[in-house]
Amino acid sequence: MDVAEILKSLTDAFPEAISEATAESEIRAGSYVDKDKVKKVCQYLKDSLQFDHLCSVCGVDYIKRNELEVVYHIASYNHPVVLTLKARLPRENPEIESIVSVYWNANWYERETYELFGILFKNHPNLKSLVLPEDMLGEWPLRKDYEGFPNKTARNLV
Amino acid sequence: MGEVKEKKASKPDETSEEGIPGVITTTTSAISDLLKKTKVQDLINWGRKNSLWFMTQPMGCCGVEMIAMGCAHYDTDRFGIIPRNSPRQADVMLISGYVTKKYLPALKRLWEQMPSPKWVMCIGDCSISGGPFYESYSTVQNIDEIFPIDVFVPGCPPRPEAMLQGFVELQEKIKAKKDLGSEY
Repeated sequence: MDVAEILKSLTDAFPEAISEATAESEIRAGSYVDKDKVKKVCQYLKDSLQFDHLCSVCGVDYIKRNELEVVYHIASYNHPVVLTLKARLPRENPEIESIVSVYWNANWYERETYELFGILFKNHPNLKSLVLPEDMLGEWPLRKDYEGFPNKTARNLV
Repeated sequence: MGEVKEKKASKPDETSEEGIPGVITTTTSAISDLLKKTKVQDLINWGRKNSLWFMTQPMGCCGVEMIAMGCAHYDTDRFGIIPRNSPRQADVMLISGYVTKKYLPALKRLWEQMPSPKWVMCIGDCSISGGPFYESYSTVQNIDEIFPIDVFVPGCPPRPEAMLQGFVELQEKIKAKKDLGSEY
């Protein structure tokens, strides 16, 4: 199964949800996905296209476009193609369907993306902060307009 | 100091108290003189500075150096400095890494669990100022406003010899104390 075949199968299955599907090389493919269909697309990738390994879930803040993006890297144990799925979200109320029911290891990835970017994953089984303390929830420190960096210099060094 | 004699248990003409096997008596009065001629404050300070037990609470890569310092090669036991696993048994807390906002309550709790008199040392640039993480959203800066730091040991990480030097400086500090340790 090569990269062109995978992208063709994906685009034919979801003609309205998949956009900008490109093959960057023999082993890398990228595409944008509609934020409402991400769970169905992942289910299809896992069941029909042998994408059975979720490498990572992360977020990107595009503040000039007023958008947040969720990036999924999905790979396979049977073929060498790594698919980069991206979903665009509005910056005001970012909500996306959780894919924990498809890939179980998305649980902690989505919790970390939630605490750092404030992206709400709907139907997540346990959506709370992973690493940060509870009282930092709501500050979303990896967003570009985050203001809470410490501004005191270390007095004992100066 | 003085000569130490071991009594032979085989001598039949000694008194019965000295015939106990393994009992060593000394003929010198050095310990008695020390107790008579030294001030109580100095004696307390002498005891405290020579039994600085530190808590093995490594928080970063400086913690590895801290463990290396406590092991056989650098042998801090010759100064009476030995690692302890419980804060209840420790005299010195080493802050040996960056303090995150999440870890600060646990560190405060460890500090409160240690019995007085107690001391705290800052090991490494991270604990002193935040180090390379000084601008991070989760790093606590100016740790000296939170804990009464006695000795700062800079370095990234400091070598075990540097930490040992810090302990020696702390011993000098304890030696000069003029109180009984109730307000530590």
